This record gives sequence, C-alpha cells and structure tokens, in this order.
Amino acid sequence: MTALKKEFQAKVAGSVRAGGEVSPAQTTNFGHLFHSTPRLLLEPRGADDVVAAIAFARAKGLTLSSRGAGHSQSHVGVSDGGLLLSMVSMGRVLRVDADALTVDVEAGIAWGDLLRHLEPLGLAPPVLTNNLNVTVGGTLSIAGIGVASFRHGTQGDQVVELDVATGSGELITCGPDREPDLFWSVIAGLGQVGIITRARLRLRRVKPMTRTYYLLYDDARRFMEDARAAMDSGKWDHLESWASPSPQGTKPVNGRRQIFARWFFPFHPTVEFDPKSPPNDDALLAGLRPTEKLYVDDLPTYEFFARLAPVFDLWKRGGTWEHVHAWTESVMPWETTPDLLDALLPDLPPSILVGGHILLWPAKGTTSRSRLFMRPEGENLMGFGVLPAIPPQFWTEAKPMVEVVSRLSVAMGGKRYLSGYVDFTEAEWRDHFGPMWEPFVQAKHRWDADGILNPGFVPLDSRRPVAVPTA
Amino acid sequence: MRDPIPFGTPAWCAALRDEVNASSEYRNAAAKWGVGFNGNLLLDFEADADLPGPLHLFLALAGGRCERAEFVTERTHQETGFSLRAPFSLWREVLERRTLAATAILTGKMKVEGDKLTLLKHAGANRALIHCVASVPTEFPTPH
Repeated sequence: MTALKKEFQAKVAGSVRAGGEVSPAQTTNFGHLFHSTPRLLLEPRGADDVVAAIAFARAKGLTLSSRGAGHSQSHVGVSDGGLLLSMVSMGRVLRVDADALTVDVEAGIAWGDLLRHLEPLGLAPPVLTNNLNVTVGGTLSIAGIGVASFRHGTQGDQVVELDVATGSGELITCGPDREPDLFWSVIAGLGQVGIITRARLRLRRVKPMTRTYYLLYDDARRFMEDARAAMDSGKWDHLESWASPSPQGTKPVNGRRQIFARWFFPFHPTVEFDPKSPPNDDALLAGLRPTEKLYVDDLPTYEFFARLAPVFDLWKRGGTWEHVHAWTESVMPWETTPDLLDALLPDLPPSILVGGHILLWPAKGTTSRSRLFMRPEGENLMGFGVLPAIPPQFWTEAKPMVEVVSRLSVAMGGKRYLSGYVDFTEAEWRDHFGPMWEPFVQAKHRWDADGILNPGFVPLDSRRPVAVPTA
Repeated sequence: MRDPIPFGTPAWCAALRDEVNASSEYRNAAAKWGVGFNGNLLLDFEADADLPGPLHLFLALAGGRCERAEFVTERTHQETGFSLRAPFSLWREVLERRTLAATAILTGKMKVEGDKLTLLKHAGANRALIHCVASVPTEFPTPH
C-alpha cells in the first residue's frame, strides 16, 4: 500500500484503491474516447467520506472527479492522476414519503434500482431516462431528459432538495428556495461546484398499465405537426420518436459509393391507464395523420419504463457497447429542425447506426426552470440526437462527420446536450452558456475556489486545461 | 487519366462545368439548389503563399446543373447569390479532402456572404459541388 493511499484510507470509511488497482472500466467512460488513470479511487460510504475526500484532495493539491455509471462521453467521470469518487457505492434509498410524494436517495443510486424500490408503492419519478442504469447524481448534473420531459421538464426540475459537498469542503443542503444559487449551479452544473451526496426527488402516482401506439411517418414535417398537436393535446403521458433509415442501395458521396437510406419517422405516443377503464383509441388518435398505424402495445407501466433494456442488452451482446460513442445530442429550435434533418439525413450512412440510433424528442421549452440546462428560445423544441456506435478503427474517419453534426446543429440555433461528446473551443463554451457563462464562472470561484472539481471538460477555471481525446 | 489543366484558366472552367453536368451525384444532391432562390456561387480564392494573386470563380447553378463557370475580375458579381471566401491554402485542403467544406464554414475559417442557413440546409449539394471541383484534373500554381 502506498503511503498516500494509506494516509487517505485512514481518513475515510469507504474502500480506497491506488491507480494500478482500478478496473479498466473506471479509466474510461461510455464514450471510450478518454482514457486516464486516477492516482486514487474511493468508493465512498456516505457524505462524510465525500467531504473528507475533498479536504484530502485540497491538502495534497490533487483534483477530484466524480463518477456515477460513467455514461458520459466527454472528459467526465474519469481522472488523470487525481482522486476519483466512484459514487455507485452510495446507492441507498433513504426515505420514501408517500404522502408528500418524495423520496430521499443517495446520489449514486441508479434510476432502475430506485424504480424497483418504488414499484410496490405505485410511485415513480415524473421523468426517467431511457437508460435506467445511469445514476441520480449523474443525470442531475447534466439535466436528465426523457420521454416525459415534454410534460415535466428535466429530472433536475423534479428535485426538492440536495445535499452538496462543495469544492470548498462544506456539506450544504440546498433547494429551489434554500441556497438557490448553489442549487441551480449544481443542477445541470457538470459537477463543477459540488458533488451531490443526497437528493430529495418529487414522485408521482403511476397508473398500472401503458398503451403505446406505434405510428409511422414518411415525412418529417407532417410528423412534427402531429408531434406538436400531441404535446398540446394534454392527452399523452410519454412521447418518443426516432428517425429510422431504410437502406436503399448505394450512391456516390464524395466520389465513393456508400449506402444511403430513405428516412422514416416512428412516433410512439403513450398513455397510462387503469385496466378497468382502458383508453379510447379513436379519441386519442383523433387528428393525428400517420402514414401507417403499425401496432398497439399494452404493457405494465414499470415494464414500459424499462422498454429499451432489451435493446441495450443486444448492443452489449453484439459488442457495440464497447465501441466509440461520440453521441451528438442537441436541443433544437422547432423551426429549424426540418432544415437540420434535410441537411444531415441524406448523406448519413445508416451503417453508423448499428448499435445506435437517431432520437427526435418533441419538447416544451417552458417546462424547465434549470438555469444551466441551455436550450433555445421558444415554446416548442426538438431534441435531436445522432447516437452512433463507431468501431474504434473508424473513429478518425468518423470524427469530422460527428463535428459537422454538432456544429451544424449549433449553427441552426441548437444547444448541445452535454452528456454526449462535446469538443467545444472556449469561445464555443461561452456561446453555449451565453448569459449564464459569467454566473457559472463566478459560482465555480465561490464554491470551488481551488478549481479542484471535475477538471478537463468545461473550461471554467483557467488553471485546469481541457483534456483531449486519447482514442 | 486526363491531363492536368492549369487552375484559373477558361479551359479549367469548361472542364469544371462539364464535370458538374456529368455528375449524377451532383444532379441528385443539388436538385433543389437554386430553385426558388439565387444559387449562383462566387468562390473567392484569396492570395497567399500558394497563390500570387486572388482569383474569383463564378458558377451559375440551379436545379442540379451548372450553366456557366468563369473566373471573373472582381470580388463582387451582380448575379451572385452566395460567396465563399478563404485563403487559397484552405481551399487546397478542402479540394484535397483534408478538410470538410462544412467544417471550414462552420468554424468560420471560410467566410460566407449570403443566407448561411440556406447554404447549410443544402449541405449535400455543396459537398457534391466541392467533389466535382476536386475531380477536375488540376495543375495548381506552384508556391512562390
């Protein structure tokens, strides 16, 4: 045991590992673009360990990074020679208040584990991510969006209270009305001012069953008209949609023949219901004009929440889970989304979507209060994500295309969603946060004066360089 | 293998026009380019170490065809819908496929005059045009 490890272990209850003892998975994240080894890794037992780790890092001049499920794709959840907290060791449900409809959890709990705890009570968080293996602390630090966000906003909007260990080493309880500046600097704050140790989350009562209508559109604009009508109707609990390719053969792109596709737009509006009063299909679908109604699926609601688990399992078994994930997700203005689709889809080879897909999520800009979850002006917005799984040997070839998708979405008025691969220059970071850049920098200086927390991604502190991909 | 044609000459322009009009890639990708709006382009090659004096290439483009290609004397041309301006060395990178034109535009290294959104919306058309330009066997000026 190294002297440093021994010294650190004496100060915390959780297990400490030296860099050489860290599992390979903990030296990278889902993106597989950044690879770095921490000096020490801690699996904290509780908030006291997190506070002690921050104090230790400050005393030793080390940086401190935090990691949930490691689903990010930029330099997040990894550490290059600093302390790394593996927060999944803090995964307990602390208290459910069924009357107040809240739950207190440790930040490292996965949403799926929380759901298993809540299912017997018929309760659930209003917004869930598609991948339920990500952690509460992780998604709150990004924003957390899902197929119910058009109604409820982000997961960050469902937070009643947080315990946060700041970079200065204080453990502070905050909420929308208590230390609001800290609270709103932590929600979607990329772990820059503090580490969430506990969250009190709002819950809702769920109905036992869901009915999903699998509608297919062959025209993006008509799909969007119906998506807006569905959002405005107030009838639906969840709205999910994609862009799906139907390969048509090959055509020349830059002189080389590549597979091209006719693109279709599956739209899956879902309603929750009680089996005693099943939904009226005709009334629900009135006014929608899909090209085809493909399928109607009744599913217990908790199974609906986990509906994509078989897809993720398939990606894992097929090996694409280990590929490079340079996901490019953006929140687009409603008005420019068709132009973005026109510009990108014709030349996008469907083969890059093996082990991935293209998301289109209709959303309302008015449902979120988050200050740091940046989105365009306007009531109606569209989440757009190109989520490829790229074999590592093709990354160099694919990178320019990924960058074009990102920059084109921004040029058309979009804001990047920051869980994916983001390769911004400092000027682009400033543009991204716009008027929130300076308050974010000030918050960083106020609660993390030494700039030790989660370096390498957003350049809030000039002393900490931005990391470059090592893939 | 066709003989290289000196860049900046009428013969090179004629070869480019023929290349565009023979390209099914361009015809398909640019079917909507210049339809309902002025799609004529002025490609502005700024002088640098690789190009002794500036060159301005005017292309009359509409509906997947090139009606006219010519080097003009001025940086402005009354029939232009869009102009793209960059140092010649950057154009070489684009034409030799070391840099994507879209990246050059989106990073601001290539300056655009005209409705940038329309240009970006038709990214495929412009990508196919660049491919046609790159396909003309060209004798570029030697660095001075």
